Amino acid sequence: MEKQLKIDFQKLLETSNFSKKNVEIKRKNFENFIEKGFPNRREENWKFSDLNQIISKNIKNLSFYNDLSKPNKIDQSIFIDGLEHNKLVFVNGRIEKIEFDYEEKNKMEILDDLVLEKSNNSNNSLLFLNNAFVSKYFKLIVKKNYSLKKPLAIYNITNKDLVSKSINLKIDILLEENSSLKLIDFSNDKSITNFININYNFDLQKNSILKNYKIDNNSNSNVKYSFSNINQDSNSVSEIFLLSSGSEFIKNEINCNLNGEYASAFVNGVYILGETKHHEIKTNINHLVEKTKSYQLIKGVLEDTSKAVYQGKIFVDSKAQKTDGYQLSKAILLNDNTEFDAKPELEIYADDVKCSHGSASGSLNEDSIFYLMSRGLNYQEAKKLLINGFLLDVVEKITDSEIKNLIKNIMSLKQ
Amino acid sequence: MLKIKNLKADIENKSILNNFNLEIKPGEVHAIMGPNGSGKSTLSNILSGKKGYDISGEILFENKNIFELETEERAHKGIFLAFQYPLEIPGVNTNIFLKTSLNAIRKARGEKELDAIEFLKLVKLKAKELKFDEEKLNRQLNVGFSGGEKKKNEILQMSILNPKLSILDETDSGLDIDALKTVADGVNSLRKKDNSFLIITHYQRLLDYIKPDYVHVLINGKIIKSGGPELALELEKKGYENFN
Ligand SMILES: Nc1ncnc2c1ncn2[C@@H]1O[C@H](COP(=O)(O)OP(=O)(O)OP(=O)(O)O)[C@@H](O)[C@H]1O
Ligand SMILES: [Mg+2]
Repeated sequence: MEKQLKIDFQKLLETSNFSKKNVEIKRKNFENFIEKGFPNRREENWKFSDLNQIISKNIKNLSFYNDLSKPNKIDQSIFIDGLEHNKLVFVNGRIEKIEFDYEEKNKMEILDDLVLEKSNNSNNSLLFLNNAFVSKYFKLIVKKNYSLKKPLAIYNITNKDLVSKSINLKIDILLEENSSLKLIDFSNDKSITNFININYNFDLQKNSILKNYKIDNNSNSNVKYSFSNINQDSNSVSEIFLLSSGSEFIKNEINCNLNGEYASAFVNGVYILGETKHHEIKTNINHLVEKTKSYQLIKGVLEDTSKAVYQGKIFVDSKAQKTDGYQLSKAILLNDNTEFDAKPELEIYADDVKCSHGSASGSLNEDSIFYLMSRGLNYQEAKKLLINGFLLDVVEKITDSEIKNLIKNIMSLKQ
Repeated sequence: MLKIKNLKADIENKSILNNFNLEIKPGEVHAIMGPNGSGKSTLSNILSGKKGYDISGEILFENKNIFELETEERAHKGIFLAFQYPLEIPGVNTNIFLKTSLNAIRKARGEKELDAIEFLKLVKLKAKELKFDEEKLNRQLNVGFSGGEKKKNEILQMSILNPKLSILDETDSGLDIDALKTVADGVNSLRKKDNSFLIITHYQRLLDYIKPDYVHVLINGKIIKSGGPELALELEKKGYENFN
């Protein structure tokens, strides 16, 4: 793999016009990645999901250079129906469409000149990989006091032309004071066995609101990593909802820094997994000042030999008195070959805090099934009703009613 | 309507019902009384087709053996069980559940399914008859219901589904006196010449309101005595230990 990496990296530099500074940073990141490689289970963060193994098992001859010179067709049929929205469309890692038809153009700014940060304190080898190979960049700035009138959907489409490639995307979003954005991440993959690595950076200034709905619903054989770094100033709100279902493997990692008083973060998610799918949600919520709040509710339904992992960490700095942190995860295991690993982690250095966590898993309650069947429902109907009921309260946490309905439709939760 | 012949039921090699015989004719009300653990709920569960028992013998419903029928098929045929301990089903709206249930049964019987408006009309009427707080029907099924409300909800379901054979497993336990009367009224209003009831109870009081045609005493999985309503009074006086 190292040989391939070097060839592909060289090719990338030769065919692109990166600034000198970017090239320098890329080289550094490239070296770091070569040194560390894909994470494996010896790293605490990856102990339930050995990515190195997952990649070698699922992807043959992974290559890292992706020719972005030719445009790709967009399959319009996959666009979200019945919801007016702005669009940013990636096809095979190339930006094919940026459309903000509903917005006041002077209230937003879009930048696509790649900006890489020089000092990257992180030790995350997938960010090294991302920085080394990313060539398309998207940054959205929502200006002070502006709320986007319609949600923005970022489509991440891959088609059959993409095979065994590593795709790296970088998206930055800055919400200025008092602004707000509803963001839907929607992936649709017809490609096979790729590694898709997305790096989000969100900056939420005072009083801003981010609602981010990440929908991974279409079954596909790709391996994915999505890292979201969120910095929140005072009074800002982030609400994240994850529907984790379609990809062969996906790890959604969310690092959220609550830097200003009264900042709050909500992470809610559902896994609906079958076959050999293996999904992870990893959160780090860092309460760094007084009076911040976080809430996490994660539920999963696992079938066949699927596996779900939830590692939720709540960190409370010694300065962060009056922190309110909550975390709960639950899973229904539909058969004995499924696996749910939950590792709640509380690291608390302040004394006046309210933090709780819990986790539970079990099989479907056969007595409940019998109860429903005794009222005329067949086994499948009874099972579906119970599962939907189990997942419903997570979906009900979505505060945007239009998007809540959309997601209920996608999950066929409509009653 | 129901004919049980020589029913034997074991669970984990433990005998629960043994040589159990019972016949219920259309329009009849039968009461079964028996001490804790005598097998009353097991009998109800088996009649409704719950899995997990080793059973032998014969259960005929309308002259057909129902041994092989799934739970929902028995419901479609008109067997209803009011549970001793109704289950809480989180995330499932009571009204929507009732509609799903009713329409599943109507569909299986080849009847037209009710639309939302027709259903609401029916449910409103039945809830009123049973003095069941309609607001509760918009809540999750049995979640946060009091013990008595859960029992009343069972009777509401029964009256909406209009079954041929209703099995009431200790529906009276946990009901206050007023609720007991309304539940009894509900049962009595369903009492027709071709609807039958099997009422399991520990207390003679319910039988003051719902006059049974027969009373059976079940001990150790076997009916040891059958008789008319007077048997319940005798039992109340003597207790099971001194009985027989
Ligand atoms: N799933 C089971 N596994 C093992 N034993 C069981 C099971 N279900 C019932 N039993 C046993 O079978 C016997 C009869 O139980 P059942 O619930 O039918 O009694 P009951 O007459 O309804 O009692 P109660 O008046 O307390 O409701 C009891 O001894 C009980 O412990
Ligand atoms: Mg019982």
